[in-house]
Amino acid sequence: MQSILNFLVKHNHWFLFIILEGISFVLLFSFNSYHGATMFTSANSVAGNIYSFVSDIGGYFNLKDENEALLEHNRELICQANAMREELRQYKDSALLANSSYTMQPSKEGFYFNTAKVINNSINRVNNFVTINKGKNDNIGQDMGVFNEKGVIGTVYQASDNFALVMPLLNSKMQLSCRIKDDNNFCSLKWNGDDILHAYIDDLPRHGEFKKGDVVVTSGFSSTFPTGIPVGEIVEFTESSTSNFNSAKVRLFVDFSTIDNVFVVGNDGKEEQKALEESITEEQ
Amino acid sequence: MTSNTFKNIRNFIMLALAQVLVFSQIHLFGYATAYIYLIFLIKLPRHTSINSMLLWGFTFGIVVDIFGNTPGINAAAATAMCFARKPILAMFTHKGLPDDFIPNANNLKWGSYLIYSGLCILIFYCILFILELFTVGNIIPLLICIGSSTLFTMLFVIVTEGFSHNKAKA
Repeated sequence: MQSILNFLVKHNHWFLFIILEGISFVLLFSFNSYHGATMFTSANSVAGNIYSFVSDIGGYFNLKDENEALLEHNRELICQANAMREELRQYKDSALLANSSYTMQPSKEGFYFNTAKVINNSINRVNNFVTINKGKNDNIGQDMGVFNEKGVIGTVYQASDNFALVMPLLNSKMQLSCRIKDDNNFCSLKWNGDDILHAYIDDLPRHGEFKKGDVVVTSGFSSTFPTGIPVGEIVEFTESSTSNFNSAKVRLFVDFSTIDNVFVVGNDGKEEQKALEESITEEQ
Repeated sequence: MTSNTFKNIRNFIMLALAQVLVFSQIHLFGYATAYIYLIFLIKLPRHTSINSMLLWGFTFGIVVDIFGNTPGINAAAATAMCFARKPILAMFTHKGLPDDFIPNANNLKWGSYLIYSGLCILIFYCILFILELFTVGNIIPLLICIGSSTLFTMLFVIVTEGFSHNKAKA
């Protein structure tokens, strides 16, 4: 008994070593599955505040480019608003003409938008993450979509009170539901881990006709993003002779090395949609 | 002893901030990242107990992990490096040395000091990149990452050592 105790005391550093390595591995493997663990990421309040302070200083250096981008985006919004107003007028006219017996219901999908600023960003890993300076207190929660004026960035992975961790397209675990513009077949976009400018689609239906230069947009099925937010354009198209799906290489519109101001999109109807879809899964 | 602890804590905070705000953001050629906090661990006095070495390594690792969104990876690698440090240092300790010393280029001589720190850093990067890249399963980028990052960090080891070397002479 005494010798066992002696042995344990003499080799106590082995136990400390094993315990510390154990903690590290638990953190490493639980990070991927346990969504509540913001404490051990840069979305915790200490790390978030330090990053946000440093980002405030760095933010002044590219104000000019940011302003130009914002102006450009404003201009596009105004154009879109005009186009929609025009369209609405036409619909009203045709509705009056048809004098149908029912009135159109406004869409139940309630998307709301929030702006946020990127305070930390990585692009050189296989699993990159982006930290933004808004969190639960600003109505930002898990699985919300994040995009900027150029296109889709990613989805919110975890949110603490004042910060949120975003899983961008440049993360090997990220999969985005999307479709080719002017076509209703949906497909999913994945990143392969090395080239930050390109991502891949490998489940394009064979019967569809796609070509270089086709624009890839969000599908809107996942209720994370509204439909039609640009993602990228096809630069290479490979027809498969063996499987039912063709694949394509997509150049992403967003330059992930320079993202700064972003929009976060929430959906009022999401809980309802999710609950409905889950209830079906449970019954099966 | 107390003043030493305070000095260590002050160095810890400064090195950790420099690491997460500056050095972790640099990825030379997309592969090499220098983890300069290893220099702190390499230069702890010889007779630092393994337990406190392990705790220093783990704490440093976890702080860098939290800021870098890589939970556990740095902590695991730095703890392992601290564990391996004592036997590695013992290989280069010769009789002319005082009982308790801080490893540097003066008392170990440049050659031994570089091999000693190089071995420690190599162990660290092997574990770090295997943990980070093992999902991808591609061996060539793994080796490039390990090699280039080790060399990049060694550059900072030499620079810090060069500075303190000159200071000791003057």
